Amino acid sequence: MIRVTKLTKSYGSQKILDDVSLEVTVGEVTALVGPSGGGKSTLLRCINGLETFQSGEIAVGDLKLAGGKPHVEWTLVQLRRRVGMVFQQFNLFPHLTALENVLSGPLFALKESRAAAEPRAKQLLERVGLGHKFDARPANLSGGQQQRVAIARALAVNPAAILFDEPTSALDPQMADEVLGVMRDLARDGQTMIVVSHDMDFVKQATTVHRMVAGRIAKSGPPSEVL
Amino acid sequence: MNDFPRVWVVFLLLLGLPAAGLSQDKKPPLKWGTDPTGGAPFIYKNKSGDYVGFEKEFADYLAEKLGRESEMVAGDWANLPQQLTKPADVSGGVDIVLNGYELRKDLAAKYGVTRAYYVYRLSLIVRKDDDSIRGWDDLDGKTVGVLGGTTAHRYTKKKYGQSIDLKSNPDVANVVKLVNDDRMDATVQDSPVAVHFLKEYEGLREAGEPAQPGELPGYYVIYYRKSDTELGAKLDKAIVEGLKDGTLKAIYERYGLWNADQEKLATETDGPWPPANLPDEASQWPELFEELLLAAGMTILLAVTSFPIAMAIGLLVALGRVYGPWIVRVPLGIYVEVLRGTPLLLQLFLIYYMVPELFLKADMAGWVKWLTPFVAGVMGLAVNYSAYEAENYRAGLQAVPKGQMEAALALGMTRFTALRRVIVPQALRIVIPPVTNDFIALFKDTSACSILFVTELTRKYNELFNFNRDLIVELAFLTAGLYLLMSYPLAILAARLERKLGGPKEGGKP
Repeated sequence: MIRVTKLTKSYGSQKILDDVSLEVTVGEVTALVGPSGGGKSTLLRCINGLETFQSGEIAVGDLKLAGGKPHVEWTLVQLRRRVGMVFQQFNLFPHLTALENVLSGPLFALKESRAAAEPRAKQLLERVGLGHKFDARPANLSGGQQQRVAIARALAVNPAAILFDEPTSALDPQMADEVLGVMRDLARDGQTMIVVSHDMDFVKQATTVHRMVAGRIAKSGPPSEVL
Repeated sequence: MNDFPRVWVVFLLLLGLPAAGLSQDKKPPLKWGTDPTGGAPFIYKNKSGDYVGFEKEFADYLAEKLGRESEMVAGDWANLPQQLTKPADVSGGVDIVLNGYELRKDLAAKYGVTRAYYVYRLSLIVRKDDDSIRGWDDLDGKTVGVLGGTTAHRYTKKKYGQSIDLKSNPDVANVVKLVNDDRMDATVQDSPVAVHFLKEYEGLREAGEPAQPGELPGYYVIYYRKSDTELGAKLDKAIVEGLKDGTLKAIYERYGLWNADQEKLATETDGPWPPANLPDEASQWPELFEELLLAAGMTILLAVTSFPIAMAIGLLVALGRVYGPWIVRVPLGIYVEVLRGTPLLLQLFLIYYMVPELFLKADMAGWVKWLTPFVAGVMGLAVNYSAYEAENYRAGLQAVPKGQMEAALALGMTRFTALRRVIVPQALRIVIPPVTNDFIALFKDTSACSILFVTELTRKYNELFNFNRDLIVELAFLTAGLYLLMSYPLAILAARLERKLGGPKEGGKP
């Protein structure tokens, strides 16, 4: 459902992504591993349309982003409703409560009514173990709790796939485990995911692993072959 | 080498000159205080840039009579008597105040006062093409402009205040021009002013007979220090002689100001002076307090009307500057710099006096009436402060972390929705302190609207103290207190708002 074809991106003369191609099918967990600066995060940001690129193509279903030109705003909006994203720094909206954060997508992006969206938003927060924190502001939540709210927020717009950009790197091990637990549950339920992670326990359970070095995919395959 | 001795000659001359002056036992100049911005025909600059006017010539005559040089000292009209409280030989010090000051009980009690040098009346000036005002009795429902804090102001308010829309302004020329431009129906002016401006504006005429401002004729007098009795006697003598020998007549006639009142003044030079029955024009405290409170109400109205507009414009400008393309950013940048870099007073002046000219040129005369002083004041304040608010909001928008926009976009929000729902609400919270600061500053800047006939607190203070000079200090403290009373609750409210909305709460992490 996500196909990246010959993607190349550079800042000046420095190539960040160099002829990257990969394909993600529905229900698959794809892991991106490799040393820092290898282009993993940039690849995710390109797939979500947060970055432009010089050449190549990204296709999500029938939506296409092409290299060498600015993206069309409406294509981006539709693409992002299909592909959610979870950030390393959570990026929760600090002026909204946990529940309002989860509701922000359905209400502001999809223009659903609050009455229609709220039951599901509460359900999602319960699913990530935060049924008791509806009215808490991000500042009053731990890092692990914030990241779980962020996952619930990403799920709330029903995306076909979710991109995880080093979701546990900013967390201490115990909190990272809370988050990884939620992600494992999602994987088990058949959620399509692309995950940039350094957590080998999680990566081992992925369907496919791509090792990225210096902007290129150095090796691809099942975890047992790549790791 | 040849030049060397010449340099020494010049040097020795320079050394010698002051000594030469002293040795002649020269009298100090007669320093007379006036407000040359008050204008024609009292004292004003003619086209070649020299000061002229009947009071200028009168002052020169007095100085000559006293055997002294005539030295003009410029000051603010309402504050001229205050200048008598410091010595004459310091900078800004004066010997006499000579600038259309009326004979008044409060001033005569505090300062020495000469005999009258002129008798004025109050003239009603209207447009020639306005047939609806034939005299003083036709003022019902009309808009009448006066010079704030003057006898004309007081007289018009007392006699017609209930039935007319009375506007006061600190500048005579503006008031007269507004009548000429059909933005006001009439103005009440001292007769010398009327004589001058009727010559200047062909479209204006006098309505009805000039009125005597009170029970006594309107006397212009000179004030001096109570202790300067010798000077006072000499001035009186010079005035009487000037009236009798025709010198003053000659001066006044040059400005078209000699009339029956002056003839009479010239024949009544031996009666007792000052007259015993001077009316007491000072106000009582309840009245003063009520007037100040009303004016404070106008200050609040100006501030609470203009600031929300300033915030709205400021936010739009900031959004354009932070997120717009260069074709939007550049003009908005110029907008902010021009408005921040020019005085508020000038902007108000441009809006109220120049925009109507543009309306007329654009064949939109109907719009002129719509631009009332209050509307112009609110517009000016709003536009001026929008530049400062734009900078506040720009800082606020830039202080929101980049990840916030990315997270909002990643949820499928359009950029506009992301700004509206995520970025702007956070930016607004961040800038609560500087925005509150500006609101408090705007409260005080509303005083600039006094040039537009909007009688707010500072203007009212200036008008009141002219007739209540014994209470100057009390009035000043009361006015300052009212400003504080208005701004302090705001500061508290803002602090509360900041605690409630601004930033993360303390000690939150479990």
